[in-house]
Amino acid sequence: MHVVVCIKQILDPEIPPREFQVDPQTKRAVRGRASLVISPFDLNALEVAVQLKERAGGRVTVVSLGGEETPEALRRALAMGADEAVWIRDGALEATDASGTARCLAAAIAKLDEPDLVLFGRQAGDWDQGLVGPMVAEALGWPLVTNVFQTRGENSPLELLQQAEGGYRVVAATLPAAATITNHEANVARLPKVREIMLANRKPITQWSLGDLGLAADEVAPRVVVEALAVPVPEGHCTFIEGETAQEKAQNLARALRELKVI
Amino acid sequence: MQVDLKLDEEQRQIVAMVRELAQERIAPFAAEWDEREEFPWPVVEAYREAGLFALAFPETYGGVGASAVTQVLVVEELAKVDATAAIILAVQWLGALPILVAGSEAQKARYLPKLASGEWLAAMALTEPEAGSDVAGLQARAVRVDGGYRLTGQKKFISHGAIADVLTTFARTGGPGAKGLSAFIVEKGAPGVRVGRIERKLGLRASNTAEILFDDCFVPERHRIGEEGEGFSIAMRTLDRSRPAVAAQALGIAEGAFAAALQYAQERRAFGQEIARFQAIQFMLADMAMGIEAARGLVYRAAHLVEEEGRGGGRLTTANRYSAMAKCFASDVAMQVTIDAVQILGGYGYIRDFPVERFMRDAKITQIYEGTNQIQRIIIARSYLDLAPGP
Ligand SMILES: Cc1cc2nc3c(=O)[nH]c(=O)nc-3n(C[C@H](O)[C@H](O)[C@H](O)COP(=O)(O)OP(=O)(O)OC[C@H]3O[C@@H](n4cnc5c(N)ncnc54)[C@H](O)[C@@H]3O)c2cc1C
Repeated sequence: MHVVVCIKQILDPEIPPREFQVDPQTKRAVRGRASLVISPFDLNALEVAVQLKERAGGRVTVVSLGGEETPEALRRALAMGADEAVWIRDGALEATDASGTARCLAAAIAKLDEPDLVLFGRQAGDWDQGLVGPMVAEALGWPLVTNVFQTRGENSPLELLQQAEGGYRVVAATLPAAATITNHEANVARLPKVREIMLANRKPITQWSLGDLGLAADEVAPRVVVEALAVPVPEGHCTFIEGETAQEKAQNLARALRELKVI
Repeated sequence: MQVDLKLDEEQRQIVAMVRELAQERIAPFAAEWDEREEFPWPVVEAYREAGLFALAFPETYGGVGASAVTQVLVVEELAKVDATAAIILAVQWLGALPILVAGSEAQKARYLPKLASGEWLAAMALTEPEAGSDVAGLQARAVRVDGGYRLTGQKKFISHGAIADVLTTFARTGGPGAKGLSAFIVEKGAPGVRVGRIERKLGLRASNTAEILFDDCFVPERHRIGEEGEGFSIAMRTLDRSRPAVAAQALGIAEGAFAAALQYAQERRAFGQEIARFQAIQFMLADMAMGIEAARGLVYRAAHLVEEEGRGGGRLTTANRYSAMAKCFASDVAMQVTIDAVQILGGYGYIRDFPVERFMRDAKITQIYEGTNQIQRIIIARSYLDLAPGP
């Protein structure tokens, strides 16, 4: 089984809200003191892939398209149990969007050695669009199962456990297939071990440019224009609920909440 | 020497992993462990899983042979959330050091792999009720008998004393003074070794600090480390290498307290503004930060020198001056910074709901153990004076 996991490196979403800023000119988040991390759902996807490898054998390849600090994310993935890493790196990708990213990833996956399954996080922790996974599946012409949290079995068709209202649904997917992964207690990402971190630093990272992928710069130009980007300013108001007795206060509170359409 | 504090990629990744481990598996529980004065076994389990014990052991014995700098970075990172958790690693390495610097091949093969994995815990028992700083004045006796020795005496304040599987210890095989000492390995459950009092402490409360009583305890000859009479030297060669880890613990405590104070100062309002706007608070923050950065420089430099000089098992000379400076300076900084952090938090600083009072209590021990700061100052001064090497 050859599983490919596409990961994105993003600004740590856990930074204090006070520190989060966007640049209204470039319409991007300001890096500030935030560190770069692997997008949370991508970590779940990695965990699902490594568990599958541990059960069914085979190997895991991680692919990431990104800037100069991408190797750090790839090494983290290698330390978690991935076997190979591919870094899609090209100056022309600086401003690309979901469609351009998907085009590159699809080309990279097609170039890899016969993948059986490709996994994505459900959505990236920065823009939360959830577009790349489905777009890659479309480009490859592979079946796609969304909101998966675990896999069962060892061969095609592989059982994918898909989150559903009040439970889960089991989807048998003929391979090759693509899936987007959501978080679940079954796929909490493992912490890498010291030894694996050290070994990961000795594994090579393959680099592919647009040219290597057979793509031209205009094919990955952004198709979505962000018009404006701003951090919402939360406003707080305080209302005192009056009343003689506890019951009266409770009634007034209920009325107030209903008027606010909270209940 | 070169001054390069930039971490390499591997170090940054290990530190990042340790930070996550600390946030998930230590920070949420540290106050409770402290309160209950209960040894945090879940931390040992977390270290075993992550392979952290292995850092200080060579690859030939199941370790990963990380540099001394990487070791101190890890201890520092852990101490930012909990000094007790941080010292668990340092004590493991301290306990193993006599074997690493002077053990036989057979001893290394028997003990080091299990200590590297964390399956066994180690402790180093040097201090006695009547001899702490004055190592040459140890009184425990090891009398030669057929096939080995019989140990009698008392060890005091031994970190992990009650829980260790392997104890490295020191006793007198010869006459008075430094030359009469020898080093031994005592395994848990050996007849004649007993755990006495478990100490109740000002800080580091969840750490296990125990008295060890040897009563005619038989130690086979193959468990003597090095030669007879080599004990004092082995103790010194051990402490030569272990001090940067305690210095790193102190540095981490200071950083943890500073971070808490910095955050609080920007949130707490008084007289209509954030208290961080008061110059009195800013000056405290500035002093704390300066102390921390200066300590960091010394700690990393000491670790770097221990790494360079420490390969064989001999005594360190150049590194010693700097590890004494690092331990002494970083622990003094930790004490001052934690006191100031409590001050910045005002009444809340004194309350157990916030971690800074724990940091302040924990900081104190770093000025005392692995050689008090008075002893460190003696080492530093003597490294410049033309006198015989001291304690
Ligand atoms: C929590 C904890 C954990 C510990 N863990 C361990 C452990 O794992 N293994 C172990 O062997 N020990 C351990 N110790 C013991 C510790 O290392 C000793 O307490 C320390 O070395 C000081 O020895 P002492 O208590 O006998 O003080 P003393 O040596 O009696 O010193 C008392 C005071 O006199 C000063 N003093 C002594 N000699 C001089 C001098 N020549 N010049 C100037 N001042 C001097 C000291 O600085 C100190 O202020 C631990 C102690 C504690 C509290």
